[in-house]
Amino acid sequence: MAVLGLAAIAAAALLPGLRESPLGRWTLMETLAPARVLPLIGLGAAFGLLAGRAFIAALLLFGIGIVIGMVAEDQLLWALDSVPRAATDLFMTGPISYLAAGAALVASKKWRSIVALAAAIIVGAMQALIIKLTDPSLHEPVFTWTPVLIAGWMVVSVSLSLRAFRREWFIVAGRILGSWLIAIGLLYGGVSLAPKRGLLVPPSPGLVEPPDSTPFPGDDRRLPGMDRSQD
Amino acid sequence: MQAMQVREQFALAFTALALGIGLWLAPDIAAAHIIQSGAAGFGSGFVHPLTGPDHFLAMFAVGLWGAQMGGRRIWTLPVTFPLIMVAGGVAGILGLPLSGVEIGIALSIVSLGLAIAFAWRPAESVAICLIAVFAICHGYAHGAELPRADDPADFAVGFVLATGMIHLFGIGVGLGLGKPLGGHLARGLGALIGVTGIYFLVSAFSAV
Repeated sequence: MAVLGLAAIAAAALLPGLRESPLGRWTLMETLAPARVLPLIGLGAAFGLLAGRAFIAALLLFGIGIVIGMVAEDQLLWALDSVPRAATDLFMTGPISYLAAGAALVASKKWRSIVALAAAIIVGAMQALIIKLTDPSLHEPVFTWTPVLIAGWMVVSVSLSLRAFRREWFIVAGRILGSWLIAIGLLYGGVSLAPKRGLLVPPSPGLVEPPDSTPFPGDDRRLPGMDRSQD
Repeated sequence: MQAMQVREQFALAFTALALGIGLWLAPDIAAAHIIQSGAAGFGSGFVHPLTGPDHFLAMFAVGLWGAQMGGRRIWTLPVTFPLIMVAGGVAGILGLPLSGVEIGIALSIVSLGLAIAFAWRPAESVAICLIAVFAICHGYAHGAELPRADDPADFAVGFVLATGMIHLFGIGVGLGLGKPLGGHLARGLGALIGVTGIYFLVSAFSAV
């Protein structure tokens, strides 16, 4: 499954016909962008550490989360808009995805299942919102379902691969990956929420010179024959 | 006894060779460790810690020290570092004042290098507190640069990933060098890191 998906992505990247199509270009540039892919890999890794029933439940909840994000888009965006400056960067959907996936990975054994189930819904809903917000086609179904399938493929293939080759040290590696995801989420959120520094601000009206004071600012040399001020 | 002397001579020679290479490369690489223009995304963020010898050495030393101490500390130090680094990073993003950051970064390299060289094994909480102070300095320096990037989100992703990979590289090297020659290779590497840190410390003081 993982190999088939990678082959499809490689085909989209290498075949000029697919690569140059609007869907292919958008998939490669947006859906497979590192910032979009990493929380899905993290969530897949967290699912891979769960026991049998919790694993199935987590996959189902991830699907339900995507449906919730698609159906309740307006309500979720309205709620996320209460965060100052959230609208400047996709309503903080990226940082929230990172924090949820990271928390699922760093949680202790006692809390791992509960946190992973909650993260499944949160990341699913946030992914659905990102898909809706970055859709360049304005509701063309193929632009909705392609990223949904890619997100599902990533989570399922990472989690199944980890379960197939499960080792004791995966939990420690998962915690390290989780700490990275939380760090990225906080930095990403911090940058999104902080006002941009060093931008040019227009001067206040009182500081602007009248437009007719100097025709060529910074150069007050006048040719003698053209100087009419002494006339 | 003779074998011990050979080992120590080997460790010294290795240290001197690596020190020479490090000092030869450091000034040129250090000059490249600033976002020169706004064009910065994932690739730029990923390369950033790899091309900055001060950041690279500190991250590498955290992994190496954790591996040298062994047990839980192999992973608690690399997990703590990025989480605390974020606090400094957010302070840098918001432009909050924090003086002596460059000196703090240089001191982190010296301290971690010496800790490895003397195979210092403090309590886990002490090691984490020490790491936390240094993480704030590193985070602040990079957080201050983040808003200048064209795509700060992608820059942060690349930057944290590369930082984590340097930790893992340090852990790998630490585990690899832990057994051969009774751990002297790892200690020699620590001494080299400490001496390189002194170079950065002198540079930081001369820049003040």
